[in-house]
Amino acid sequence: MNDQIQSDSSPETQRQKLLVSLITQHQRRIFAYIYALVHNRHDAEDLLQETNEVICEKFNEFEEGTDFVAWACQIAYWRVRYWRQRHARAKVVFDDDLLSQVAQTLSTMRKELDTRHEALAICLEKLHPRDRELIMARYEPDGSVREAAYRTGRSLEAAYKALSRLRKLLLDCVTHQLAKEL
Amino acid sequence: MLTDRDILELNELCSALIDGRLTELQKERLRWWLANSESARRYYARMMSLSASLHHYASEMHVEVPATARHRVGFRQLLKLLVPAATVAAAAVAFWLVFGSGLSPVRQKATKHGGYVAQLTGVKDCRWESTIAPLAVGAMLRSGQQIELASGFAEVTFDSGAQLVLEGPAKLEVVSPWRAVLHTGTLKANVPPEALGFAVKCDVVEVLDLGTEFSLRVDKPGVADLMVLKGQVEAIPDTPTDREEIILTQNEVRRFTRWGVYVTPDVEQKFAKVVEPIPFERASKPLELVNWSFDELVGNLFQARSFGTGLGSPDAKVESASDWGFLDQCVNGVFGRALSLDGELYAKAPFKGISERRPLTVMFWVRVPQDAPLWGAYAMVAWWVNNPKLGSRPVHIGWNRNANEGPIGVLRTDYAGGYALGTTPLRDGRWHHVAVVLVPSPDPTAPLSAKQYVDGRLDGEGKPSPPGGAMSTEPNTVVSNTLWIGCRLGATGPRKDRFVGEIDELWVALEALGPHEIVKIMRENRAVIGELAQAQP
Repeated sequence: MNDQIQSDSSPETQRQKLLVSLITQHQRRIFAYIYALVHNRHDAEDLLQETNEVICEKFNEFEEGTDFVAWACQIAYWRVRYWRQRHARAKVVFDDDLLSQVAQTLSTMRKELDTRHEALAICLEKLHPRDRELIMARYEPDGSVREAAYRTGRSLEAAYKALSRLRKLLLDCVTHQLAKEL
Repeated sequence: MLTDRDILELNELCSALIDGRLTELQKERLRWWLANSESARRYYARMMSLSASLHHYASEMHVEVPATARHRVGFRQLLKLLVPAATVAAAAVAFWLVFGSGLSPVRQKATKHGGYVAQLTGVKDCRWESTIAPLAVGAMLRSGQQIELASGFAEVTFDSGAQLVLEGPAKLEVVSPWRAVLHTGTLKANVPPEALGFAVKCDVVEVLDLGTEFSLRVDKPGVADLMVLKGQVEAIPDTPTDREEIILTQNEVRRFTRWGVYVTPDVEQKFAKVVEPIPFERASKPLELVNWSFDELVGNLFQARSFGTGLGSPDAKVESASDWGFLDQCVNGVFGRALSLDGELYAKAPFKGISERRPLTVMFWVRVPQDAPLWGAYAMVAWWVNNPKLGSRPVHIGWNRNANEGPIGVLRTDYAGGYALGTTPLRDGRWHHVAVVLVPSPDPTAPLSAKQYVDGRLDGEGKPSPPGGAMSTEPNTVVSNTLWIGCRLGATGPRKDRFVGEIDELWVALEALGPHEIVKIMRENRAVIGELAQAQP
């Protein structure tokens, strides 16, 4: 029993607790970063999983008090580079230079993108229920444009158009929301 | 600095990228923008971040979708990496709670299921996995619900009309009227023409039906066998190396794996049991039906035929504000003669019990003139419902005249707490078969589930109405217990709005009929009592 108590407060245990806390807290941010580089949910989820594994393996290299998300995104970036080599023909839209440029832009915008995520929740509330249903059906796990079109009674082409319009609407709403809060 | 035009173009490009339909030309254009403009990169970052956030929020609201076996293994491996010893049990629990239970932002799932989308219509020697409550024949299945069959056979009929026979051991998830996920086991899909487009997915392939029968078997994660029994299917492999769809026709067999698609000659025997006719135990439905054929007007009455309702003969009485009489009210219909409604006439039939909270199916043929005026949309059929939860309100079946809510001229059902809109245009001068199924639901946020069928195909489901003003919860005794044909209903009687068009063969069943039963009545126009439970696609 005493051994257990001693063990629970050991530096190693504390370190692992810190890992759990950080990785939990920042999953969404790391996912969003990967998603912006591979622009596909399933690929991003697989890469997030791989990134998590590397984070666990290399956590002893992470310096407490430094920027965990920046460190994790750096790992994610190299996982994406490696993944691109495997899927060079089928999935890659940007070349390595362009990927690096986009990754750099993403790194400089982290704070803004975080704020935009929070504001988006307010904008989703403001959507017409029919539009919100389309968005949710498109973005839910295993959702697709085809499924969203069926569920909301639209043709496939109309659903594509509506989604494009709604993304712009939401983007503008978020910008407006942030300007209001300043 | 981006101009409005630049932003519109970037929005189109980003949307096409997100939805996986970026053309080569667009790809080039997007690359150019991102390579040459920091503003464009920032716009791209915001748009991609918005899309990632939408995945996050949609996952939060989504009904339960268990992680695939592949993902579960991954997280368990990660757990091993993270917690190699029991000394950090607390951390392990925390980590498992975070990842294993799906609370990770990208995998977060609510435990709540959605609306009804399918029904268990047959069982044979069924033994259910102990992890779920045993299901009885007739059980309604909700979106996101999983059924786990340890052994035996189960038949699931989706609201689209697609029917799956499941051979245990098997685990199936019903996603929507148009979609199911087979996690493990074997199934046979029988998809009638009305359910064209129904899809079954597993972890390595999505099978989109093109009017057919097919069997799918998932023995283990990453391997699935598909055999087409009749017609053709479109199979879309979901593997890292291959996502090109394949059209398969009768007797063609393929094995789908994570590493590719193969032709395997020995697969047929795996489907031997499930393709045989199975003598299912089914629920016997003592159906109660009423029919108005509108074949003959005697005086001002259309005679009704009642089957098992105890309602006697609830004849429909034609009423009009004018003194012109009813000489031209019978026109040629789909079966014999039909009732013609000119914007002034309406009819009403006594119908005891129709205003109570109970399942109900209303079916009829309707012809709406191409130039029907907007004021002639309400209502083909109406009745009053006294619901203590939803208030005392009418149900109206008509066509949509509100362009803000959907296309003009599609089937629309309004009821207390919600409305349903279809997609098939009715205002085309042709006969269409319409069916509306209303089922009380235990869900307090949506106490009534509504489904619409046009020409036998599922065409719109109910959704909650925006919050409105206060409504009476006092039961209405003035207009209740009556079926109204061709008029809009108010609390004290018909309003001035009248439906313009023709109606034929109106059937009301005091039961929620399934898609095959609706199609059978649509085709045969007879009280197929006893046969309905056996109705097959």
